[in-house]
Amino acid sequence: MATTTAAITLTSADLLTDALSLSATKTLHKAGSTVGLDQTTGMTKAYLTATTNVDIFPTLIEGSMAFAGKSSWVYICNESEDETEYVIITISGNVIGKLYGGDFLWMPWSQSEDGHGNNRHGDIELAPSVDTGMWFSWCCINEGTEYPTAV
Amino acid sequence: MATITAQLTVNSDISSYGGPSISKTMTMTKAATNNGLERTSGIQRKYMTSTNHIDLIQGAAGVVADMTVSATASAAKIYIKYLEADTSKYVTLGFGTSSGSGTQQANDSTTTPAFELGKLYGDDWMIIPWDGTSATGDITVKPSSATTAAPAIIEYIVFFD
Repeated sequence: MATTTAAITLTSADLLTDALSLSATKTLHKAGSTVGLDQTTGMTKAYLTATTNVDIFPTLIEGSMAFAGKSSWVYICNESEDETEYVIITISGNVIGKLYGGDFLWMPWSQSEDGHGNNRHGDIELAPSVDTGMWFSWCCINEGTEYPTAV
Repeated sequence: MATITAQLTVNSDISSYGGPSISKTMTMTKAATNNGLERTSGIQRKYMTSTNHIDLIQGAAGVVADMTVSATASAAKIYIKYLEADTSKYVTLGFGTSSGSGTQQANDSTTTPAFELGKLYGDDWMIIPWDGTSATGDITVKPSSATTAAPAIIEYIVFFD
Protein backbone atom coordinates (compact mmCIF):
# COMPACT_ATOMS: atom_id res chain seq x y z
CA MET A 1 0.00 0.00 0.00
CA ALA A 2 1.33 3.39 -0.95
CA THR A 3 1.77 6.08 1.66
CA THR A 4 1.48 9.77 0.94
CA THR A 5 1.74 12.36 3.66
CA ALA A 6 1.02 16.06 3.31
CA ALA A 7 2.20 18.59 5.86
CA ILE A 8 1.83 22.32 6.16
CA THR A 9 3.28 24.92 8.47
CA LEU A 10 1.86 28.44 8.60
CA THR A 11 4.01 30.96 10.41
CA SER A 12 4.28 34.67 10.98
CA ALA A 13 6.31 36.48 13.58
CA ASP A 14 4.80 39.90 12.97
CA LEU A 15 1.22 39.52 11.70
CA LEU A 16 -0.28 39.54 15.19
CA THR A 17 0.87 40.62 18.63
CA ASP A 18 2.13 37.11 19.27
CA ALA A 19 3.75 34.77 16.80
CA LEU A 20 1.49 32.67 14.62
CA SER A 21 2.51 29.05 14.22
CA LEU A 22 0.15 26.43 12.90
CA SER A 23 1.01 22.96 11.65
CA ALA A 24 -0.90 20.01 10.27
CA THR A 25 0.06 16.65 8.82
CA LYS A 26 -2.19 14.09 7.20
CA THR A 27 -1.79 10.78 5.41
CA LEU A 28 -3.89 10.77 2.26
CA HIS A 29 -6.48 8.00 2.15
CA LYS A 30 -9.00 6.68 -0.30
CA ALA A 31 -12.47 8.05 0.38
CA GLY A 32 -13.78 7.06 3.81
CA SER A 33 -11.03 4.52 4.46
CA THR A 34 -7.55 4.20 5.89
CA VAL A 35 -6.16 2.79 2.65
CA GLY A 36 -3.57 5.04 1.04
CA LEU A 37 -4.10 6.73 -2.29
CA ASP A 38 -2.23 4.82 -4.94
CA GLN A 39 -2.47 6.71 -8.24
CA THR A 40 -1.07 9.98 -9.52
CA THR A 41 -0.67 12.06 -12.63
CA GLY A 42 2.90 12.73 -11.56
CA MET A 43 4.27 16.25 -11.38
CA THR A 44 3.74 18.28 -14.53
CA LYS A 45 5.99 21.19 -15.45
CA ALA A 46 4.27 23.36 -18.03
CA TYR A 47 5.02 26.58 -19.89
CA LEU A 48 1.87 28.40 -20.98
CA THR A 49 2.09 31.13 -23.62
CA ALA A 50 -1.53 32.24 -23.94
CA THR A 51 -4.05 33.83 -21.60
CA THR A 52 -6.87 31.56 -22.63
CA ASN A 53 -8.30 29.08 -20.15
CA VAL A 54 -6.88 25.58 -20.34
CA ASP A 55 -8.08 22.39 -18.68
CA ILE A 56 -5.17 20.94 -16.76
CA PHE A 57 -6.88 17.68 -15.78
CA PRO A 58 -9.01 16.44 -18.67
CA THR A 59 -10.07 13.49 -16.62
CA LEU A 60 -13.83 13.46 -16.48
CA ILE A 61 -15.66 10.94 -18.57
CA GLU A 62 -19.01 12.27 -19.63
CA GLY A 63 -21.86 10.08 -18.49
CA SER A 64 -19.86 7.87 -16.17
CA MET A 65 -18.11 10.42 -13.95
CA ALA A 66 -15.10 8.25 -13.39
CA PHE A 67 -13.92 9.92 -10.22
CA ALA A 68 -17.25 10.62 -8.56
CA GLY A 69 -17.09 9.69 -4.88
CA LYS A 70 -13.35 9.15 -5.04
CA SER A 71 -10.64 11.03 -3.20
CA SER A 72 -8.36 13.31 -5.20
CA TRP A 73 -5.84 15.93 -4.11
CA VAL A 74 -4.54 18.70 -6.32
CA TYR A 75 -1.39 20.82 -6.14
CA ILE A 76 -0.94 23.81 -8.43
CA CYS A 77 1.95 26.27 -8.27
CA ASN A 78 2.57 29.44 -10.24
CA GLU A 79 6.34 29.19 -10.69
CA SER A 80 6.70 32.71 -12.08
CA GLU A 81 9.27 34.86 -10.29
CA ASP A 82 7.43 38.04 -11.31
CA GLU A 83 5.09 39.12 -8.52
CA THR A 84 2.76 40.85 -10.97
CA GLU A 85 2.09 37.70 -12.97
CA TYR A 86 -0.85 35.65 -11.80
CA VAL A 87 -3.05 32.81 -12.89
CA ILE A 88 -6.79 32.66 -12.41
CA ILE A 89 -7.95 29.33 -11.06
CA THR A 90 -11.39 28.29 -12.23
CA ILE A 91 -13.38 25.28 -11.15
CA SER A 92 -16.60 24.34 -12.82
CA GLY A 93 -16.40 27.61 -14.74
CA ASN A 94 -16.27 29.77 -11.61
CA VAL A 95 -13.25 31.68 -10.36
CA ILE A 96 -12.05 30.61 -6.94
CA GLY A 97 -8.93 32.76 -6.75
CA LYS A 98 -5.59 33.87 -8.15
CA LEU A 99 -2.14 32.50 -7.63
CA TYR A 100 0.52 35.19 -7.96
CA GLY A 101 4.13 34.36 -8.69
CA GLY A 102 5.35 31.78 -6.15
CA ASP A 103 1.87 30.99 -4.80
CA PHE A 104 0.48 27.46 -4.60
CA LEU A 105 -2.70 25.68 -3.62
CA TRP A 106 -3.34 22.26 -2.11
CA MET A 107 -6.92 21.07 -2.06
CA PRO A 108 -9.30 18.12 -2.33
CA TRP A 109 -11.17 17.75 -5.59
CA SER A 110 -14.57 16.09 -5.91
CA GLN A 111 -15.00 16.33 -9.68
CA SER A 112 -18.73 16.40 -9.22
CA GLU A 113 -21.12 16.39 -12.13
CA ASP A 114 -22.57 19.76 -13.09
CA GLY A 115 -26.33 19.78 -13.54
CA HIS A 116 -26.20 22.74 -15.92
CA GLY A 117 -25.28 20.56 -18.83
CA ASN A 118 -22.43 22.71 -20.10
CA ASN A 119 -19.94 19.91 -19.54
CA ARG A 120 -17.87 21.97 -17.14
CA HIS A 121 -18.37 19.57 -14.27
CA GLY A 122 -15.49 19.91 -11.82
CA ASP A 123 -12.95 20.86 -14.46
CA ILE A 124 -9.96 22.79 -13.13
CA GLU A 125 -8.85 25.53 -15.49
CA LEU A 126 -5.92 27.93 -15.51
CA ALA A 127 -5.81 31.31 -17.22
CA PRO A 128 -2.37 32.99 -17.12
CA SER A 129 -2.33 36.80 -16.87
CA VAL A 130 0.24 37.24 -19.63
CA ASP A 131 0.98 35.56 -22.93
CA THR A 132 4.73 36.05 -22.72
CA GLY A 133 5.18 32.68 -21.05
CA MET A 134 4.64 31.50 -17.51
CA TRP A 135 5.86 28.32 -15.81
CA PHE A 136 3.55 26.15 -13.74
CA SER A 137 3.72 22.93 -11.81
CA TRP A 138 0.73 20.76 -11.03
CA CYS A 139 -0.03 17.31 -9.75
CA CYS A 140 -3.02 15.18 -8.81
CA ILE A 141 -2.83 12.33 -6.30
CA ASN A 142 -5.92 10.20 -6.45
CA GLU A 143 -7.69 6.85 -6.65
CA GLY A 144 -9.79 5.17 -9.27
CA THR A 145 -8.43 6.60 -12.52
CA GLU A 146 -10.44 5.57 -15.56
CA TYR A 147 -9.41 6.38 -19.07
CA PRO A 148 -11.72 7.04 -22.00
CA THR A 149 -11.97 4.35 -24.61
CA ALA A 150 -10.06 5.22 -27.74
CA VAL A 151 -12.12 6.24 -30.76
CA MET B 1 4.09 44.91 6.52
CA ALA B 2 3.83 41.39 7.85
CA THR B 3 5.57 38.27 6.66
CA ILE B 4 3.39 35.18 6.47
CA THR B 5 4.80 31.94 5.12
CA ALA B 6 3.19 28.64 4.23
CA GLN B 7 5.46 25.64 3.84
CA LEU B 8 4.01 22.61 2.09
CA THR B 9 5.68 19.22 2.17
CA VAL B 10 4.29 16.16 0.42
CA ASN B 11 6.11 12.84 0.49
CA SER B 12 4.86 9.81 -1.40
CA ASP B 13 6.00 6.39 -2.53
CA ILE B 14 3.20 5.90 -5.06
CA SER B 15 5.55 5.90 -8.00
CA SER B 16 8.40 3.42 -8.14
CA TYR B 17 10.21 6.16 -10.05
CA GLY B 18 9.97 8.38 -6.98
CA GLY B 19 7.35 10.63 -5.49
CA PRO B 20 5.55 12.67 -6.31
CA SER B 21 7.21 14.85 -3.72
CA ILE B 22 6.60 18.52 -3.05
CA SER B 23 8.55 20.96 -0.95
CA LYS B 24 7.46 24.52 -1.46
CA THR B 25 7.38 27.67 0.63
CA MET B 26 5.01 30.50 -0.20
CA THR B 27 5.32 33.99 1.20
CA MET B 28 1.89 35.55 1.10
CA THR B 29 1.93 38.94 -0.58
CA LYS B 30 -0.64 41.48 -1.65
CA ALA B 31 -1.79 41.36 -5.24
CA ALA B 32 1.00 42.10 -7.71
CA THR B 33 3.45 43.37 -5.09
CA ASN B 34 6.16 42.06 -2.80
CA ASN B 35 4.40 43.58 0.21
CA GLY B 36 3.13 41.00 2.64
CA LEU B 37 -0.52 40.44 3.44
CA GLU B 38 -1.28 42.09 6.75
CA ARG B 39 -4.89 41.30 7.57
CA THR B 40 -6.40 38.12 8.90
CA SER B 41 -9.60 36.69 10.28
CA GLY B 42 -7.52 35.08 13.01
CA ILE B 43 -7.94 31.39 13.66
CA GLN B 44 -11.64 30.61 13.75
CA ARG B 45 -13.54 27.52 14.83
CA LYS B 46 -16.95 26.67 13.47
CA TYR B 47 -19.09 24.17 15.38
CA MET B 48 -21.87 22.59 13.38
CA THR B 49 -24.57 20.64 15.15
CA SER B 50 -26.55 19.60 12.09
CA THR B 51 -25.77 18.31 8.64
CA ASN B 52 -27.31 21.34 6.96
CA HIS B 53 -25.54 22.89 3.99
CA ILE B 54 -24.44 26.34 5.19
CA ASP B 55 -22.02 29.19 4.48
CA LEU B 56 -18.71 28.73 6.24
CA ILE B 57 -17.16 31.99 5.03
CA GLN B 58 -19.09 34.73 3.31
CA GLY B 59 -17.40 36.67 0.56
CA ALA B 60 -18.78 40.13 1.15
CA ALA B 61 -19.77 41.55 4.54
CA GLY B 62 -19.56 38.24 6.29
CA VAL B 63 -17.08 36.71 8.68
CA VAL B 64 -14.24 38.72 7.20
CA ALA B 65 -16.08 42.01 7.43
CA ASP B 66 -13.29 44.35 6.39
CA MET B 67 -11.92 42.25 3.56
CA THR B 68 -11.71 44.04 0.25
CA VAL B 69 -13.55 41.71 -2.06
CA SER B 70 -12.14 42.09 -5.52
CA ALA B 71 -12.37 40.07 -8.66
CA THR B 72 -9.40 41.86 -10.12
CA ALA B 73 -6.90 42.32 -7.30
CA SER B 74 -7.21 39.84 -4.51
CA ALA B 75 -4.44 37.66 -3.16
CA ALA B 76 -6.34 36.24 -0.21
CA LYS B 77 -5.55 32.74 1.03
CA ILE B 78 -7.66 30.42 3.14
CA TYR B 79 -6.56 27.49 5.26
CA ILE B 80 -9.29 25.07 6.35
CA LYS B 81 -9.02 21.94 8.51
CA TYR B 82 -11.69 19.43 9.57
CA LEU B 83 -11.01 18.51 13.18
CA GLU B 84 -12.15 14.91 13.39
CA ALA B 85 -10.35 11.72 14.41
CA ASP B 86 -12.78 9.46 12.52
CA THR B 87 -11.51 9.36 8.93
CA SER B 88 -14.81 7.98 7.62
CA LYS B 89 -16.53 11.29 8.43
CA TYR B 90 -16.16 14.23 6.08
CA VAL B 91 -17.26 17.75 5.31
CA THR B 92 -18.09 18.74 1.76
CA LEU B 93 -16.64 22.13 0.79
CA GLY B 94 -18.10 24.17 -2.00
CA PHE B 95 -18.47 27.64 -3.49
CA GLY B 96 -21.55 29.72 -4.14
CA THR B 97 -25.03 29.19 -2.80
CA SER B 98 -25.76 27.02 0.22
CA SER B 99 -29.14 25.36 0.50
CA GLY B 100 -29.55 25.95 4.24
CA SER B 101 -31.16 22.54 4.49
CA GLY B 102 -30.03 18.97 4.88
CA THR B 103 -29.90 18.55 1.12
CA GLN B 104 -26.80 19.93 -0.50
CA GLN B 105 -27.35 22.63 -3.11
CA ALA B 106 -27.13 20.95 -6.49
CA ASN B 107 -24.06 21.58 -8.59
CA ASP B 108 -24.88 24.16 -11.19
CA SER B 109 -22.06 26.29 -12.52
CA THR B 110 -24.28 28.92 -14.12
CA THR B 111 -27.88 29.16 -12.99
CA THR B 112 -27.64 29.08 -9.20
CA PRO B 113 -24.52 29.08 -9.09
CA ALA B 114 -23.04 26.53 -6.71
CA PHE B 115 -20.50 23.80 -7.02
CA GLU B 116 -18.74 21.26 -4.89
CA LEU B 117 -15.01 21.72 -4.49
CA GLY B 118 -14.02 18.64 -2.53
CA LYS B 119 -14.33 16.67 0.66
CA LEU B 120 -12.19 16.95 3.73
CA TYR B 121 -12.18 13.68 5.64
CA GLY B 122 -11.18 13.55 9.30
CA ASP B 123 -8.08 15.69 9.94
CA ASP B 124 -7.71 16.68 6.28
CA TRP B 125 -6.76 20.28 5.53
CA MET B 126 -6.41 22.51 2.51
CA ILE B 127 -5.04 25.88 1.46
CA ILE B 128 -6.40 27.79 -1.51
CA PRO B 129 -6.50 31.30 -2.96
CA TRP B 130 -9.78 33.18 -2.64
CA ASP B 131 -11.31 36.00 -4.64
CA GLY B 132 -14.41 36.24 -2.49
CA THR B 133 -16.50 37.74 -5.25
CA SER B 134 -20.19 37.87 -4.58
CA ALA B 135 -21.67 35.46 -7.08
CA THR B 136 -19.71 32.38 -6.14
CA GLY B 137 -17.42 33.69 -3.43
CA ASP B 138 -19.12 32.22 -0.40
CA ILE B 139 -17.46 29.07 0.83
CA THR B 140 -20.02 26.51 1.83
CA VAL B 141 -19.83 23.41 3.98
CA LYS B 142 -21.96 20.36 4.67
CA PRO B 143 -20.89 17.82 7.28
CA SER B 144 -21.61 14.14 6.76
CA SER B 145 -22.22 13.81 10.48
CA ALA B 146 -22.96 16.47 13.09
CA THR B 147 -25.08 16.56 16.22
CA THR B 148 -25.23 18.66 19.35
CA ALA B 149 -23.44 15.92 21.23
CA ALA B 150 -20.88 15.34 18.50
CA PRO B 151 -20.53 18.51 16.45
CA ALA B 152 -18.49 18.79 13.29
CA ILE B 153 -15.68 21.23 13.96
CA ILE B 154 -13.83 23.20 11.31
CA GLU B 155 -10.84 25.38 11.92
CA TYR B 156 -9.97 28.07 9.40
CA ILE B 157 -7.99 31.22 8.92
CA VAL B 158 -8.17 33.84 6.17
CA PHE B 159 -5.26 36.05 5.15
CA PHE B 160 -6.25 38.92 2.89
CA ASP B 161 -5.37 42.24 1.26
